Amino acid sequence: MIRKILIVDDSPIARKMLKSCLPKDQGYEFFESGDGRDGFEKYKEITPDVTFMDLTMPIMTGYEAIEAIMGHDKNAVIIVVTADVQMKAIKRVMESGAYMVLKKPLKREDIQSALSRVKDTLQKV
Amino acid sequence: MQEEKILSDEEIEILQEIMNISFGKSAADLADVIDTHVVLSVPFIRIMQVPELPTYFREHVKEYKTISIVEQKFWGRFKGDALLVFSSGAGRELINMLQHDTRPGFESDPIDILERETLMEVGNILIGACVGKLAELLRDVVTYTPPMVVVERDYSNAVTESRYDPDNTAIVLKTDFCFDEGDVSGFLFLITSNDSVTWMKEALRLFIEQYE
Repeated sequence: MIRKILIVDDSPIARKMLKSCLPKDQGYEFFESGDGRDGFEKYKEITPDVTFMDLTMPIMTGYEAIEAIMGHDKNAVIIVVTADVQMKAIKRVMESGAYMVLKKPLKREDIQSALSRVKDTLQKV
Repeated sequence: MQEEKILSDEEIEILQEIMNISFGKSAADLADVIDTHVVLSVPFIRIMQVPELPTYFREHVKEYKTISIVEQKFWGRFKGDALLVFSSGAGRELINMLQHDTRPGFESDPIDILERETLMEVGNILIGACVGKLAELLRDVVTYTPPMVVVERDYSNAVTESRYDPDNTAIVLKTDFCFDEGDVSGFLFLITSNDSVTWMKEALRLFIEQYE
């Protein structure tokens, strides 16, 4: 079951766009962060069920934040939401333990199908 | 002060996110051609009077001393000038990275011609994909002039204000990049004027409306 969702992106507009793609009727509790370091701190504090993570961010990049979070919680579910869709970027984040990568600009159906996949995964655990 | 008059904070944030998506697309297109990873950074939007442009430009590129520039003008409802600035020596570095190119005659061209052609080709990919994606996201279509290349020029006189209308306001979209292999870095500047502002404000509103 997904209850708490953390969104880590330096762009307030990107966070707004992502939130608008999430179903409104599921009772999700949202948490937001504007950089990787704060995202990692928030992760430790709230232990979200799903984390949406941008890659290109100031202070601490998404790559570093994913490594920090996975080092802290190997079961973390991190969905990377990025404009950086180069093969090497995707390979690197998947090797770091990201759950999947979604390309910006987001589409509602992509987010919703990603969440369905996460729910199936969590049920099997 | 100008920023408040021309575009709101939210409009600047939307434009910044659109620039982020657009340059991400061009980096991916380039990575398909050259086996490298383009390290991206957070894009930056700045609004200024045209006479301020050369100083702003010099401030950003002065660390390179000499630079190469690929320039393309584009026009649609979104119109302006794309300047892709490469660090000193980037042209020759890119030739090394592209050495697997098997086009007839490529290897036999003199080095300066090869350097110019390589910069032009890489510039064409980065500018075309970025401006094209940006226009697409804003529901526009743009046409381009052929790229023009300036190779290894002193940074201090590479851009002058005389090429732009001094009475205009410039909207500058800047992103910097570097390659994870090879000593290549640079900036992409997209410079558009207040002629595009009315259309742009409406296009940004329509873009974000999808996410309301």
